[in-house]
Amino acid sequence: MCIAIITITFIGWNILYALSFRYKSNLHFSERLAVSYGLGLGFMSLGMIFFYFFNIGFTPLKIITPWSALVLLNSIIYFRNHKKATLTAAFKADDKNHRFLKTFFIIGIAFEAAYAFFRALIKPLESYDAIAIYAIKAKIFYLSKSIPHDFFSRVTFVFPHPDYPLNIPLSETLIYLFLGNLNDQLVKIIFPLYFVSILTVVYFGIRRFANSSYALLFTFLLASVPQFSAYATNGYLDLPLSFYCLTSALFLFLWFQNREAVCFLMISAVMAGLAGWTKNEGFMYCAINIFMVVLFFIFDCREKIWSKLWYLFTYAFIIFAISLPWIIIKKSAGLVNDEISLINYSPANLISQSYKIVPIIYEFQKQAFGFKKWNLLWIVLFFILIVKRRFIFIARERYVTIFLFLSVSGYILMYLINSSPIEWSLGRTWSRFLLHFLPLAVFWMATILKEDPRL
Amino acid sequence: MKGNIFKITLGIWLILWVSFITRELFRKGYFYDYKALIFRSLEGKRSYVTGDRFYEFLTFCNERLPPLANYGWVGVEPESVDMRRAAYYLYPHLEKKDYPDFILVYDKPMIAKAGYETFIRLDYVRYILKRKGDI
Repeated sequence: MCIAIITITFIGWNILYALSFRYKSNLHFSERLAVSYGLGLGFMSLGMIFFYFFNIGFTPLKIITPWSALVLLNSIIYFRNHKKATLTAAFKADDKNHRFLKTFFIIGIAFEAAYAFFRALIKPLESYDAIAIYAIKAKIFYLSKSIPHDFFSRVTFVFPHPDYPLNIPLSETLIYLFLGNLNDQLVKIIFPLYFVSILTVVYFGIRRFANSSYALLFTFLLASVPQFSAYATNGYLDLPLSFYCLTSALFLFLWFQNREAVCFLMISAVMAGLAGWTKNEGFMYCAINIFMVVLFFIFDCREKIWSKLWYLFTYAFIIFAISLPWIIIKKSAGLVNDEISLINYSPANLISQSYKIVPIIYEFQKQAFGFKKWNLLWIVLFFILIVKRRFIFIARERYVTIFLFLSVSGYILMYLINSSPIEWSLGRTWSRFLLHFLPLAVFWMATILKEDPRL
Repeated sequence: MKGNIFKITLGIWLILWVSFITRELFRKGYFYDYKALIFRSLEGKRSYVTGDRFYEFLTFCNERLPPLANYGWVGVEPESVDMRRAAYYLYPHLEKKDYPDFILVYDKPMIAKAGYETFIRLDYVRYILKRKGDI
């Protein structure tokens, strides 16, 4: 198990190095580890799709071998360039105050992380979607040591949602291959590791503009949201998607602030592509990310038009290239979503579906006051939105606000064009969709409140 | 003022945090689940989360169904979590809606199904029917 996680993270580390060695990336070691884990898992599972194209079976060695070329290349680059690398301080100086609070938050975060691992690993995969959609595919791939040639044309249609991307099923297969058996208990380690990675990325995201006690406070708030920690344990894809959404947005905002660090733009593009490779909703975040880049170029960037177009093209191309293998499979096998179709996007249909707004608003308020799932989080967020309204559209905060607004709007649009009964659909999905942008919402709260000297 | 709002909010947050964890552990019974699960083997854990009785039947079916035979269900609610878990544990056997090779009957006393005969029983209410003729 440890070998699997170390290998995945090591390969992710190399991908991250290949993306960032040219630039001053200023990533903390722990932040690098967290990003590397998500990158490694996403890219190794994406690589496994090519085994299907070339009709090759899976073994750990075969899966690792193509990545060894990257490791070799990186080693050469490292030994030629590492002396030239400079690392400027990216994080705010640490404060010596609030020792008691800091200790308390660290214990709280450690408890939540340990409890997430315990809850995940005490049971094998058993929750509905985890079994019905993802684990069954992982089992099929593991038992046949490949993606069977008739999988997309026949087998996948026996199980629900054949159109869902395969990042996590293939990641689970990868863990099984390393373990050498179908241990559907240990494989769940994937999920609390995403949980810890999200907390790490949020912490260091906040540390770039605030001291450690402030960053620990918001990291603790995120870790202690019951719904968030529960989904670190049940084998659902919402937390992995949340990780890719968070990192794609956060690194994009970092690039907006420091355009010399082009690696941040590259990491953002790659993470957005992996969001699409994790869950269908990830494609919405790809579109939002591209739109944010366009918005930034229109309002805040003084570079030449060709330079802007080059960045935009590169960004969109990376996302497209990562999404392409799955798009090809979906198109060729005719895998379509049975609830949401682009045909329903017509303005006439949207107007006819506008009655759904009432149940949507009702469900929104139900979640906002659903303390059992969210503690006070959404209430605090709305309070901040009202009290600090002057700050939500200034400087860095503006892009985070727009990103969150577009995320909520995107989901509302999805509900409008969804062919399933709206109450059923909302009750089943909205509390999970909120998880996708929850870490970013916590980051937004931290950015908006940062100017308050009392905190 | 701002400091007080912060302290009160954090205080309520912490009280809710502790109460939700405690509630989950004891009122929702997670503690007893963990206690029951912690010393079980992987197979035992699978059985516990699936329901010992149902898992026993799934294991029985897995042992008795011929390789690659398909099956249908009687006595398990369609689209239910039990149905999904069954599909997971019974793979590589695949479910077939119309005229499957075998019908798995769970918690139903002897049923008569045209074109099928009793294949093997686990007990009076858990058994497998086989399609008449060669499979």
